[in-house]
Amino acid sequence: MLDLPTQAWDWLRRTYVWRSFFRHGYPDSRKNQSLTVFTNVFLHLHPVKVRRHALAIPYTWCMGGLSFFLFLVLTLTGTLLMFYYHPTTDLAYSDIKDLETVVVFGQLLRNMHRWAAHGMVITVFLHMARVFYTGSYKPPREFNWVVGVLLFFLTIMLSYTGYLLPWDQLAFWAVTVGYNIAAATPFIGNEVSYLLFGGYELGPNALLRFYVLHVVGLPVLTGFLMAIHFWRIRKDGGISGPL
Amino acid sequence: MPSLGPQPYPGQEKRLRLLAFVRQDAVIRVDKRVEDTAMVWPHLLVIEFIVAMLWLVGLFVVSALFNAPLQDIANPDHTPNPSKAPWYLLNLQELLLHMDKALAGVIVPTVLLFVFLPLIPYIDRSREGVGRYFTDKTGLRIFQFSAVYTTVLTFALIFIDYLLKKAGYIEWAGDHLPGGKQLFPNWLIPIAVMLGLSALLVLLVDKLFGANTRGKMIALFTGFVFVYVVLTFVGTSMRGPGMDLYPPWALPPTIQ
Repeated sequence: MLDLPTQAWDWLRRTYVWRSFFRHGYPDSRKNQSLTVFTNVFLHLHPVKVRRHALAIPYTWCMGGLSFFLFLVLTLTGTLLMFYYHPTTDLAYSDIKDLETVVVFGQLLRNMHRWAAHGMVITVFLHMARVFYTGSYKPPREFNWVVGVLLFFLTIMLSYTGYLLPWDQLAFWAVTVGYNIAAATPFIGNEVSYLLFGGYELGPNALLRFYVLHVVGLPVLTGFLMAIHFWRIRKDGGISGPL
Repeated sequence: MPSLGPQPYPGQEKRLRLLAFVRQDAVIRVDKRVEDTAMVWPHLLVIEFIVAMLWLVGLFVVSALFNAPLQDIANPDHTPNPSKAPWYLLNLQELLLHMDKALAGVIVPTVLLFVFLPLIPYIDRSREGVGRYFTDKTGLRIFQFSAVYTTVLTFALIFIDYLLKKAGYIEWAGDHLPGGKQLFPNWLIPIAVMLGLSALLVLLVDKLFGANTRGKMIALFTGFVFVYVVLTFVGTSMRGPGMDLYPPWALPPTIQ
């Protein structure tokens, strides 16, 4: 009787359906550990083996991985927030108020999105500093450094476009500072501010443009560059280490 | 008899031809020492999982304790004093107080982000020191020196600008300098200071530590990091109403 669960488990793992899902046994042997990593779409970002050096937490401080982790948290919480938000000047503010007072766990959701966004600016910056000070931009990783710089820029832009969306005094005047900077671009100031803000003052068009950039344009671009960034880590020999 | 694939013509079996010499340092050698590696499952995945869970719990705790700020609904007719950008852009807003808007807000960040940072690996191309923080002890000393140099000078420049403006330097420039209040105070002097102090830093690490290209890059990048941090700190904690300079412990609240 007592070994019934074990027998059921063993039977389950021998079924045709189970074996169509997983093409290897439990990862307790080298072979199955390798198969687990490279037959799994999520794990196959990793190589099967890494250099021991790369495991040392004081080497990377996990900052690159944590940037990606926060990006995932932001995607998830952001998608949930989208269910409760209208990007129009007459509804945006009351939607945020509703999130804080009416929606179940709405305040927690908004807080997580806010603090994760601030956190990601910090982790991306620290990741860049780590990569620089360990000389990890050196050949053959030159191009991946450039991709990383672009990702840092996109992180700032993602955070900045999101800042306007609550449409409160804090958001409005913070983004006004940015508007004045964009309008000061030499020669093409008017064109740049019109392109970004959809007009010559902060209004419904600016809110809509920032919303679309924040939830579609910039995340798609960031995801695209992240794919290149991770791929290139593998192709350039994995995490950097002493020669 | 089975085919063995393409065969040489009779009498030409041993003709070899030199195609190219490959210099040894032009080859990227992938380290394949077996004893130096660990399986990703479980060694790396365990670390990733624990760190991700710790951060997730931390994020829950922070989000449960601190609410995201929300002020009154946006009102274009009512300007808070001071109006500040998000903290990670306050460094640019701080820069705006010291030079022309186009220079501080557009040209300097564009040059830093799209010229200086991407060019680093194309200027410092040696593979020396990869995988070691600051390359070596000299690199660490260059880092420390540049951090102090940049921090002290950035604070000093902000303070000097404050004193000069208090003494009526902009008005004096408007009366006495060619280009009036714009050319010298807002363009030429800031550009000269930024380029001059960067060049001086490179010169100093060269003289003091005998820095190579990597060392000079450490100096410049450290300069960038610490200017970024100091300007963010001043913009966040030392600018009150009217964007006037205050000590961080006596910063008046925003006038809503």
